Amino acid sequence: MATLHIVRQSAFISNDFSQCITTLGKDDTVAFIDDGCYNMQHNLMKSIDAKLNIQLHVLAKHAQARALIINEPEFGKINMKNLVELTFSHDRVITWQ
Amino acid sequence: MNHLTQNTLAILNSKAPYSNTAGKDALDIALIFASFEQAPSLFFQGDGVYQLIANQDGSLISVKDYLKTFAAFEFYDIEDIYVCENSLIERKLTTDFHIEQIQVLSTQKFTQQLMSNNTILRF
Repeated sequence: MATLHIVRQSAFISNDFSQCITTLGKDDTVAFIDDGCYNMQHNLMKSIDAKLNIQLHVLAKHAQARALIINEPEFGKINMKNLVELTFSHDRVITWQ
Repeated sequence: MNHLTQNTLAILNSKAPYSNTAGKDALDIALIFASFEQAPSLFFQGDGVYQLIANQDGSLISVKDYLKTFAAFEFYDIEDIYVCENSLIERKLTTDFHIEQIQVLSTQKFTQQLMSNNTILRF
């Protein structure tokens, strides 16, 4: 029963992402879009429990637009089509915005 | 597995009450669903817990006090109301709420309860 977490805010300005991390469950997926892409470099990334087997994705264009380098394979690059597919392949979606 | 056959809605409140309309919007949605006999579960996390604190008075800052409408939850059969205990502790808040029937849950239980719903709207 995996959840897709769509993170749209930078953790440097809001605590949305930190709230997201507290609700992560096993095999959940996190997708960074919009200003959420900035979280790739945030220290909070280290607080994600490795045992949960979280998949991390970044909307590539949103990161590129912000001149952010996507560190593969830690973060998977996705496009809008993939994001829509993710919403179907998970049991539920939470948008952290 | 009830949730496979029946669609359940959770509304996750994460904003303090007066500086934006998030809390009011969440309340409106909750009451609309409830009036069609689909009462959602309400969750309060982060600054959202400030919406539940007793003795608030929006009229002092010229804000229409939608929090008073929370008293109608019982009438609307909205009975599942959950608060993240850790969010209360971080803000040095007590469990002095302005409505009854609130369940304070540890972060883990709170998450479990939240994820037992198949639709989650966050405000």
